[in-house]
Amino acid sequence: MEILRSIYEVTWFIVLIAAGVAALEGYFYYHFKYYDRPWYFPAALAAFPAAALVIASVFAGEYAFRLWFYFFAAEALIAAAFRYVVKGRHTVPYLLLAPAFVGLALLLVYPFVFEVYLSFHDLKLTTIMSWKNTGKLPFVGLDQYIKVFTTSPLSEVSFWALLGRTLVWTFSNVFFHVLGGFALALLLNNAIRFKGAYRTLLVIPWAMPQVVAVLAMRGEFHSQNGFVNIILTRLTEAFPFLVSLGIGPVQWLSDYPLLTCTIINVWLGIPFMMVVILGGLQSISSSYYDAADIDGASYFQKLRFITLPLIKPVLMPAVTLGTVWTFNNINVIYLVTGQAGGTEQADILVSALYKAAFTYNRYSYSAAFALVVFALLFFISVTYLHGFDAAKDER
Amino acid sequence: MTEKEKQLRLRQLKYVLIHAAVIIAAAVCVYPLLRIFSVSLRPGDKLFSTDLSLIPDGATFKAYASLLKDTMFLRWLWNSLLITLATSFIGVSLASTAAYAFSRFRFPGKKAGLILLLSSQMIPAGMLILPLFLMIMKLNLMNTYLGMIIAYSVSSLPFSIWILKGYYDTIPRSLEEAALVDGTSQVGAFWRIILPLSTPALSIAFLFNFTTAWNEYLVARVVLFSSQQYTWTLGLFELQGQYITQWGMFAAGSMLVTLPVLAVFLYSSKWLISGLTLGSVKG
Repeated sequence: MEILRSIYEVTWFIVLIAAGVAALEGYFYYHFKYYDRPWYFPAALAAFPAAALVIASVFAGEYAFRLWFYFFAAEALIAAAFRYVVKGRHTVPYLLLAPAFVGLALLLVYPFVFEVYLSFHDLKLTTIMSWKNTGKLPFVGLDQYIKVFTTSPLSEVSFWALLGRTLVWTFSNVFFHVLGGFALALLLNNAIRFKGAYRTLLVIPWAMPQVVAVLAMRGEFHSQNGFVNIILTRLTEAFPFLVSLGIGPVQWLSDYPLLTCTIINVWLGIPFMMVVILGGLQSISSSYYDAADIDGASYFQKLRFITLPLIKPVLMPAVTLGTVWTFNNINVIYLVTGQAGGTEQADILVSALYKAAFTYNRYSYSAAFALVVFALLFFISVTYLHGFDAAKDER
Repeated sequence: MTEKEKQLRLRQLKYVLIHAAVIIAAAVCVYPLLRIFSVSLRPGDKLFSTDLSLIPDGATFKAYASLLKDTMFLRWLWNSLLITLATSFIGVSLASTAAYAFSRFRFPGKKAGLILLLSSQMIPAGMLILPLFLMIMKLNLMNTYLGMIIAYSVSSLPFSIWILKGYYDTIPRSLEEAALVDGTSQVGAFWRIILPLSTPALSIAFLFNFTTAWNEYLVARVVLFSSQQYTWTLGLFELQGQYITQWGMFAAGSMLVTLPVLAVFLYSSKWLISGLTLGSVKG
């Protein structure tokens, strides 16, 4: 019965969305077709659903009334835009785009704007119930932004420490991803047997669901039961001289949490780089290498002067992506350290942001924090992507 | 030994070394998965043995049985499946039409729209969780499927639009022109010609939406709070959190989730990778 009920619930929702999309399309179509009617005519017609909202506001109070007001204002704007700007042209593309863009506006642009709004107000555990009921929040100006730089998002670590840790985390991860991926791709690019089988095995960390992979690896870094320490113990038993080099089982999760997260994430991220680089290597024509062989170039010269320059167009976007992904990687760090009593010695900016919002319930603070992180990432990406404009061939 | 023989030996040595290196790398990649498998087979009293063998002594499927019987694992899988299917369906249908508009028409705001799509990829994923969570709370959709579907549905939309636009661009316009000459409308040409031809790209987009939502953890953590409504990611986290008691069940659940995902991924990896480079943007 439970199952039937859940199917019903979801199907009903999808039907509702479909109806919403149909209504939206009809609404826009109407505007396209009759854009030259008097300005008040479409507005007047749209007033019918609005009137329903007014009646609802009798029951639901001020909130529904506000909705109605926004709707009416939006309708007047839309009618004006259709009358004076669009004038019934480009009907088909706009109708095709409308549902996706309304979805993006509601669930991507609006939340972003809402986040900006939150960051100038004070929403926390003590004010959240009154916000839920009345929709009002105390205005605090730039206080939250000042707090971002002066207080800790968690219990002790500061913003600047987090920033430094994030940079170290991002660069070490991306560096090892590219290094490992490049090495494996070069190995696989030889004419060897079982290439397909090797490739399949090597992409397994990427193909596994990330939650499973990270949680399992977390268990394996457990000080007694994880295989990492078991192997280290056996190694030191077999080769006692290793102990004098300082190699031996350690408390990974409590003593070296950031190192543990980095190892896990490097393990997870190498296959993606390998696949991308391998694709690039395979597209390099062998005639370059033949020419270099005739000139008597060494292996490293070929690597330096043929492979690297030719792989660059593939490598640069992948590295950019990898940097942004790693910078934003909450998953690995939260899954490893996020449980009750978890350490904050491994937190980077984004995971601290998540914990500040949902472990410490400091909503407005973390909104301000998020915007600071966003500005930072935006700055980094823009400098990084300088001259790399994926949309430039579009008019 | 002649010069030729020497070279042959050298080549053989190189061949062996390459194989050795690749085999070691493959072992590092695969070993954790095999280890989960081995733990899931352990009998209850040997969960914490420091044994490294793949098939433990007294291997048993008891952990699987108790996972299915004593926890709500099947229910979690079902919740995930429903949410994910609905999300991917909504995402792909919205993306397929929007991408068509970007691919075939010229209209004011086209470049702005494409830039919006690209720049939306720069927003840190973790950043929008908070406002989405508050919106879902305000709408009284906490702990429901609908809340989850709303939170997920547009997250992969820009990327899907980008992939599909790239694919549509490769379909020659003359096909549609022929259909238009034969008297169908622009929308009819899209529905009857373009969509059927784009099945590969549509499946990539669907798969991408599916895996993103299927493996999602962070939003689910804050929106769902009763174990009845959990997705499998939350359920596994819960099991793994109680390290002492549930280790075997966690391993069994991991195996059950991973195997189908692995199968689908390996089967589709060729297209998935070409799709990744085609889109060339995802954040």
